[in-house]
Amino acid sequence: MANPVDPALTSSVSASQPPAPEMQPSVQQPPQGASPSKPAKQQTPKQPAKGKDGAAAAPAPSGDGAALTPAELKKKAKADKAARRARERAERETTGGAPGGPGGQHAASAKKGASGPGGAGGKDSAAAAQQKGQKQLPRRGSAQATAQVGAAELKKKQEEKNVSVFGHLYGQQRRTTIAGAGKEVHPAVLALGLQMRDYVVCGSSARCVATLLAFKRVIEAYTTPLGTSLARHLTTHLSHQITYLSTCRPLSISQGNAIRALKLAISSIDPSVPEATAKSSLCDFIDSFIREKITVADQVIAGSAAQKIQDGDVIVTFAGSSIVKQTLLTAHKQGKQFRVSIIDSRPLFEGKNLARTLANAGLDVQYSLVNGISHAIKDATKVFLGAHAMTSNGRLYSRVGTALVAMSAKERAGGVEVPVIVCCETVKFTDRVALDSIVVNEIADADELVTIEPVQQLTGLPDPTAPAPAETKKGSKAAASAPVESSTASQSTGSPLEEWKESANLQLLNIMYDVTPAEYVDMVVTEMGSLPPSAVPIVHRMSTNL
Amino acid sequence: MPSNSVALTPGLASFLKSLKTNPIDTSIDDLISLLKRRQIRHSRSCATATAYLMRSVISATRTSDANKLIERVQYAGRRVMAAQPREMVVGNIVRRVLGLIRDEAEDDREGDFSLSEAGSESQPQTPRALDDPSEVLSYRHDGSDRSSSRQPFTSLSATPISMFSLLSHPEPETSLPGTPASASPSGRLLGHSHNKDIRAEVLDGINEIIDELGQVDDQIAAYALEHIHSNEIILTHTSSTTVQKFLLKAAAKRKFTVIHAESYPNNHEATHATISGQAPKDDDMLSTEAFQKPLIALGITVILIPDSAVFALMSRVNKVILGTHSVLANGGLVAAAGTRVIARAAKVHQTPVVVVSGVYKLSPVYPFDFDSLIEYGDVSKVIGYEDGDLVDQIDVQNPLYDYVPAELVDLYITNLGGHAPSYLYRIVSDHYRKEDINV
Repeated sequence: MANPVDPALTSSVSASQPPAPEMQPSVQQPPQGASPSKPAKQQTPKQPAKGKDGAAAAPAPSGDGAALTPAELKKKAKADKAARRARERAERETTGGAPGGPGGQHAASAKKGASGPGGAGGKDSAAAAQQKGQKQLPRRGSAQATAQVGAAELKKKQEEKNVSVFGHLYGQQRRTTIAGAGKEVHPAVLALGLQMRDYVVCGSSARCVATLLAFKRVIEAYTTPLGTSLARHLTTHLSHQITYLSTCRPLSISQGNAIRALKLAISSIDPSVPEATAKSSLCDFIDSFIREKITVADQVIAGSAAQKIQDGDVIVTFAGSSIVKQTLLTAHKQGKQFRVSIIDSRPLFEGKNLARTLANAGLDVQYSLVNGISHAIKDATKVFLGAHAMTSNGRLYSRVGTALVAMSAKERAGGVEVPVIVCCETVKFTDRVALDSIVVNEIADADELVTIEPVQQLTGLPDPTAPAPAETKKGSKAAASAPVESSTASQSTGSPLEEWKESANLQLLNIMYDVTPAEYVDMVVTEMGSLPPSAVPIVHRMSTNL
Repeated sequence: MPSNSVALTPGLASFLKSLKTNPIDTSIDDLISLLKRRQIRHSRSCATATAYLMRSVISATRTSDANKLIERVQYAGRRVMAAQPREMVVGNIVRRVLGLIRDEAEDDREGDFSLSEAGSESQPQTPRALDDPSEVLSYRHDGSDRSSSRQPFTSLSATPISMFSLLSHPEPETSLPGTPASASPSGRLLGHSHNKDIRAEVLDGINEIIDELGQVDDQIAAYALEHIHSNEIILTHTSSTTVQKFLLKAAAKRKFTVIHAESYPNNHEATHATISGQAPKDDDMLSTEAFQKPLIALGITVILIPDSAVFALMSRVNKVILGTHSVLANGGLVAAAGTRVIARAAKVHQTPVVVVSGVYKLSPVYPFDFDSLIEYGDVSKVIGYEDGDLVDQIDVQNPLYDYVPAELVDLYITNLGGHAPSYLYRIVSDHYRKEDINV
């Protein structure tokens, strides 16, 4: 992160340092050494004892275990043992050695399962155990049987809180600390991961640029180990960084596209080229990628989208897209007179920053939340939307709520349809397709939805109602108990949702994106020109084959 | 001590309490200021307050003349309605009270006519005819007092004078006692007692309206099982006691999933309180529903989502059940802000939209200017004081209501049953009289 393109990034670097230590005292993570491979090794001598424990304890907690015959019990114990070994191996692989990607691990565990005594059953259990091992990765330190039972309970509770329709999206919890990250992960990437998790670096393009800049520093600091070539080893080295980043927050489409391009560039480096030259050529590649695909692309898009704005227009936009911001500022600089109506949503309130920037630049800004969509759209003449990605079937994948705005623009009762214009760099195009917002999405922490009540009392004066009921409670307990309880209860509870995790059947859902049907989008403005949404797959093919 | 806490925050409870002691004009002013300060909000609270106020207005009016009563109610009603024109239920209740008085007066007059034809024997029976307990029972039964009370009127439509706005022309009244000379002394006496009865009857009628307001949610909830099937995914929006009771009734028998959009920023706290089952803070709501079990206690999975996620989830939703602020005669509705996009998203996904609403929310107003129906709320809920610098620079909007056109609604469920939006005008004409539409 030597010279970030985005000015917001520079400020964010310094701003983000405090949260990292703050996150340290987390519940899940027992204090453990800085080197993550160490506990895995320590665990090895304990293994047989734990295995026995586990085998002995296994039938007891499971209710159906009582009816097992001794032969079955033996078989089960064997399977357990195999599973444990596989898990242990998987753990060592993910932390210490080469990650190899999921494919390699699968191969390893499958081989193990096949050679083990369990046969087909063993294979299954090994695969399951491997999965389990991956999930339990964060709390590796607590290896006691009781803790495991507690963890299982916790997990079950956690699963109850997951919305079943979105069950496939609750993979891993977002990383809470940098503890447990591989030692290969570069400090710049460590910091970036936390920034992305905390939405300090937010937005598809910003995340893409920040990732590339961080990777540039990784490449600068990289030296090829003996016995391998840069083209071979750097890719695996980068995949550690990528794995870490994706545990902080799932990678965006633009990040994925950029990483793919970078890996392609790495693999196409001639092994005979000296390391220094190769590294500098890669850094040049990253710089030119950022310049071509994002910086200049944004300028081109802003220029051509600003042409669509005319005097007297009322532009509606949703949340805070950087490219829409640039477009509006460009149009304003060209002296066009128009009004901007920003629609914002909980819990990120990204539109607030956009409103602030635009208002400071002197634009006429109106701001409302999702509940005001139908009012804001009433006198709109154009809708400008940013994108997280454009799918190959022409649908717009963007911040949740975008679809509502686009729909309102198209379905305005009794009025003419408002044109919906999407501003999107081609780096955000993907060959994936999406029909609804459920199959592909990102689940954010549901606790973000629990409102933090603003402090009720702004003055330093003591609340006159507070001490009085307490005294009466002491004096006449029986008479005044009911009203006192109600008053104290109303004071103590911040939000009724605070204890949502304890109340059964209550679930909170905080998804990040939704999919806007292609028929709501009139035009996609890209650096390659303005297209209908149906042209997205063609442009994507062109831009990737180049 | 509880009385102190009630007095601290003026609202429906304090108003109802003061209604008994205060003189009537003070009470009217009281309600006006409460409505203006929005210390009484929500359709039902407004309706209850208005109904009680109308009851005291009528019981305080010593006159026995129907015209005077109407005048008095109109005067009070106009003032209260002008205080908060967007609370349309206030006008609805006033109109219904006016309709009650007119009905009673008409029935009375018919009684007079039949009396003058039949002779003096039937004198004591005719005014009692309406007090017939079976008739009162039938009121309660179907909840539509108009339709049943109209029966004698239509059957006696042979007398053309009584049909058309008798009350606006006082001449039959003057001619009436003068027709038979022998009956004139008793007739006048009788007329007096009739008029006294009018007041009592109207008070009875208002009590029935108040009863209806109390029972309406349960009556609507009784239809729940006809509309919710097992394993359904139902989406709803903001906290509405009518919707909650509707869902709770169904939850007693069937398992389904509720997706609840929170309606930030105006009603999200109440929504959170409703779904988590924690008592809401304002004592305006601290009535029976505060002690109600939440849906989650009945084993119903409730998923809370921000309003923005409605479109994303709509493809999974089977039914959208919405509460409303008021329903207009054209079948459109004025409901909490954000309802319109939800209804629209449902239409796009071909998901049926069901609106549950008491008949008292049904307003005879036809919207020509939708914007006039929309109320704008506290802007600090959208941008708080911590962003004070922004407020100077930008225009922040916080609409409280949305107008939802009738074509976005598939079904209305009122305490009278389920209706298509196109049928609503019939129910309106059943409940309000034409001459009262402009109070």
